[in-house]
Amino acid sequence: MYCVYCGVRLQDGAGECPLCHTKVAAPALPEQPAEPSWPDRVPRKEKQSGKRLVLSLITVILIAAALSCLIFCLKSTGRVGWSGIAALGMALFWVWVILPQWFPRWRPMIFLPIDFLCLGGYLLYICKATGGNWFLSFAFPVTALAAVLTLAGVAMMRYIVQGRLRLMSLLLIAIGLSFMLVEFFQHITFGTPMFVWSLYCMSVFCLIGLFLFIASFIPGWRAALRRTFFY
Amino acid sequence: MRKQWYRLDNAALIFPAVMRKNWNNVFRVSVTLKDKVDPDILNRAAEDLLPRFPTIFVRLRTGFFWYYLETVAEAPKAEEDYAWPLTPMTRRKLKKCCIRILYWQNRIAVEFFHSVTDGTGAMTFVQNLAARYLALKEGIEIPAEGRILDPKETPKAEETRDCFQLCGAKASVSRAEANAYRLRGNPEEDLFRHIVTGVVPTGMLLEKAHEQGVTVTAYLAAVMAEAVLARQREDRKPGRWRHIKITIPVNLRKTFGLETLRNFTLAVNIGFDPRLGEYSHEEICRLMYHQLAAETIPQRMAGRVSTNVELQRSLPLRLVPLPMKTLAMRLVYALSGESKGCLNISNMGVVTLPEVMTPYVDRFDFMIGVQYSYPNNCSVVSWQGKTYISMIRSIRDSELERLFFSRLVELGIPVDIESNRR
Repeated sequence: MYCVYCGVRLQDGAGECPLCHTKVAAPALPEQPAEPSWPDRVPRKEKQSGKRLVLSLITVILIAAALSCLIFCLKSTGRVGWSGIAALGMALFWVWVILPQWFPRWRPMIFLPIDFLCLGGYLLYICKATGGNWFLSFAFPVTALAAVLTLAGVAMMRYIVQGRLRLMSLLLIAIGLSFMLVEFFQHITFGTPMFVWSLYCMSVFCLIGLFLFIASFIPGWRAALRRTFFY
Repeated sequence: MRKQWYRLDNAALIFPAVMRKNWNNVFRVSVTLKDKVDPDILNRAAEDLLPRFPTIFVRLRTGFFWYYLETVAEAPKAEEDYAWPLTPMTRRKLKKCCIRILYWQNRIAVEFFHSVTDGTGAMTFVQNLAARYLALKEGIEIPAEGRILDPKETPKAEETRDCFQLCGAKASVSRAEANAYRLRGNPEEDLFRHIVTGVVPTGMLLEKAHEQGVTVTAYLAAVMAEAVLARQREDRKPGRWRHIKITIPVNLRKTFGLETLRNFTLAVNIGFDPRLGEYSHEEICRLMYHQLAAETIPQRMAGRVSTNVELQRSLPLRLVPLPMKTLAMRLVYALSGESKGCLNISNMGVVTLPEVMTPYVDRFDFMIGVQYSYPNNCSVVSWQGKTYISMIRSIRDSELERLFFSRLVELGIPVDIESNRR
């Protein structure tokens, strides 16, 4: 029995050619299919029990460490004090690092907003606990800016296929400009002089971004970058 | 049995460093017998071979500076084969044993993590496993000749050595070369591997290769290059064409006259630049043949071995802890490891067995896994007048196989096709 399209001889009972998927029409041949050369057994997915055990252990250690800090501080000073910052720091570590490990797939558009929300909450707690006045004018806008830029970058790399290089260059320019915004917030909150360090960061990021933006219009450069960085 | 340990040979170093959760470098050699396989006898045969093949029955251990291999106390139990070959061996499995023994109906298959051995070592082991199995089941006396070893003999020192350390040149050869066209397609979500095996008459293949004045490997590489070129034409505009290069693993045992059961191969990339103009079938055949001949002369091979071994011997690099070495190797592999060839063609050559075994054996198969970033690979083995060309792919699209096998048919070589289609 031959494939009329590819010219190769097929196994007896083959319904179609495995190369071109052309259906086999051979009414003269018996319909009984030949014995399969491969079984149906599908490999089992390996259990993640070892990983879950390690994650559970880390969680228990973190809870124990946080509780120890709280109890020690409460007993010695009668206030939550520094132990609150330490305990919430551990909670933040758990949310950022351990929580995504429990799930089979890391979904950035779900985990990253949660991560940045928790970071914002943690900074708010530190601000209140230390009697500071820098959350609304500095920590909140800087965290929000970082969240927006990170989400934009991740979304771009995961969901956009065409024009990645141009988008990446624009993102780099945006990151560069965001350093100036951060220094601006620093200036209005802490009264530091404007645009000192951010100019250096901004110029480096904007120059790289500008180079990539120009490269995205030149096919040869674009291909060379793609080949080198597998984007 | 006392536990022994072995340093990874030079070619094996890269494989544990670059392995991922869903991919690592495994390959498979299988032998199909005339009768159904009895798994209990197969297990006994594997146990009998345990002391004779200390470098094959090993597990992967992690040291502070390097990975290393350690002998296992028991041979792995034979398990039923899967719907597709070469499922990745996870780190957990590699810590138990770096080989997997499988059976299905008349077929005995062994899958190897590439750090353990290469195709030649694997074929030797599988032939010995089949010989021991037949000796236990049929009660035949099989002489220790060719690749068949005496199972009662103690392993020879030459079988367990790292031959890369013995054959370097005084100067090294640069690794720099142009990047090749990258085949691509829609990947199978569940890591299903499609296997399409084309069975062709060896005599006719040889005749066609000799008509062009080339070897079978060069001839198959030329036909494959034509198929990849056609694929690139469908996939890309002429302005974006890249080199068409086929990677050929070369058995260095013949080149240097050394024997070992561990890795001793080196891959060479042969091909052409399609942007320079049109190439006829004859021209591609000759190009492939002459490039292969030029690349595989002992002097050049020794130079390339030196390039690889120098890094391994460098004292500052040896003192770097394993995690940092792993990171560096992954980075280098990501940047250049798989960008120099379109796909591999690994030709095992003609398999021979002692005469007393031959009536019990139906066929041999040899399959290599796909690389991490290129989805197709091809392996070839010949037995009793038939050549089995196995093409594996991790994508749904079978265009490359169609182009390759239909080109063979066009050239006058009849092809029988088998596959593991679901």
